[in-house]
Amino acid sequence: MSRELSDWYQRLAADADARDLAVPGVLRRRADRRARLRAVGGSLAVALLAGGVVIGTSLVSKPPPVPSPAVRPTTPAPSATAGSPSPSAPPTTPGRPPSSSPASPQVTGGSPPSTPVSIPDRAFFNLPPANRTDTAPKFVDRDVLPGLCGARYPSDAAIVQRRTRSLVFKLPEDNIDGNAPDGTYAHTITIYRAGRADDAMNELRRAVRDCPEQGRPAGDASMLTRQRLLSTTGYGDESVLFEMREPNVDINGDPTGGENVRLVRAIRIGDVVTVLWEIGWESGSSPRAQVDADSRRAVTAIRAWLD
Amino acid sequence: MRDAQSFDDFYRSTARRMARYGYAVVGDHSEAQDLVQEAYTRAWRHWGRLAAHPAPEAWLRLVVSRLATDRWRRLRTLRGALRLAGPPPAVGPPTEDSVLLLQALRQVPANHRQALALHYLFDMSVEEIAREVGAPVGTVKSWLSRGRSRLAALLPDLAGVELEANDVA
Repeated sequence: MSRELSDWYQRLAADADARDLAVPGVLRRRADRRARLRAVGGSLAVALLAGGVVIGTSLVSKPPPVPSPAVRPTTPAPSATAGSPSPSAPPTTPGRPPSSSPASPQVTGGSPPSTPVSIPDRAFFNLPPANRTDTAPKFVDRDVLPGLCGARYPSDAAIVQRRTRSLVFKLPEDNIDGNAPDGTYAHTITIYRAGRADDAMNELRRAVRDCPEQGRPAGDASMLTRQRLLSTTGYGDESVLFEMREPNVDINGDPTGGENVRLVRAIRIGDVVTVLWEIGWESGSSPRAQVDADSRRAVTAIRAWLD
Repeated sequence: MRDAQSFDDFYRSTARRMARYGYAVVGDHSEAQDLVQEAYTRAWRHWGRLAAHPAPEAWLRLVVSRLATDRWRRLRTLRGALRLAGPPPAVGPPTEDSVLLLQALRQVPANHRQALALHYLFDMSVEEIAREVGAPVGTVKSWLSRGRSRLAALLPDLAGVELEANDVA
């Protein structure tokens, strides 16, 4: 008796159904563990490099992104190699003008920049020589912001393009350790559709305000981080600065006593938002003066790009 | 930034279909399971943005198909990642029909397998498949037609004559 091909596929589907995949919680934990292992591996490798030991960077770095036909430009395009955002840039549509949120004095004296459609490398600021380390900046695929009680950002739907660069720095006065790093920025630049960037800023403010504390995994237990908004003016058209206080942990993620303060600043310039998330190095808090200075550099670089 | 609940909901509502798809495209259940779980791992990594995507399942299918295409090169990495999850549970052997179909599919080019799986497992039209894989409609029609012809020659009792008229609209 003759059979349709769809029957064959139905039998195959039934076979596949008999074999369960992992439950989602297990899968998420495994993914997070992999991300942590990758981060620890990267830190160790760079530390060894700083000590003069040459290690193949291929062990810790991701392969180059593979261009792919993104289903939608705002979403990371899948690739066979490690994923990397490669959004294409759709034309923007006319929308409401850039935000009427309080503007800093720096905004005055110029017309609002038109909405760009792609982010060149030069939009990312360069560190002055005194802050540079042996680790070259590299574009990465990672979260733009720390998790804030599971906050979601509806403005993500209005993203035109987003790029994130990892930038390792050292403090200028830190001459004793040579090129030993003092911190790392996850530096992101995001273009929003016209007039939507201020939504992103408002959502971030709300997310921080609504998440004064949260638990996150640390070793075999969890630790509490506390978040609060800090005063910030004079950066771009508007800015949001917040801190995350968390217990200091060792390489296994176990608390060692003491506390670290991480700083995150988001700055809006027209329809562009840049986020400097200082994710730290081995230990210690984010250096406020350095973060402030680099925030100004970030704004200058973006303004130069937009002009 | 990433909402675990929405990811879990998405996983539960799509994992079964994705496992079928992986199985049909890759032809080996263990390998398909590796690829599908790897795809979901990446989806979780990007979930902050992917959650707002209008078609996250299509995104996943693309990841699975690309991983499948590239699977030999990536196999070692995937195996290493899977070790963390421990051995898979024991399951019964596949049915005879599945074995026959999978053996036949191994003799069909990867893009034909992908088009056939999208059509027969997701009920996607030629136009929809063309959009998803980024190929012209005529090319997809050709893939489906040639894929079916090949399978008709390899599978016993397949109603090959009616396929063209019924399925490629």
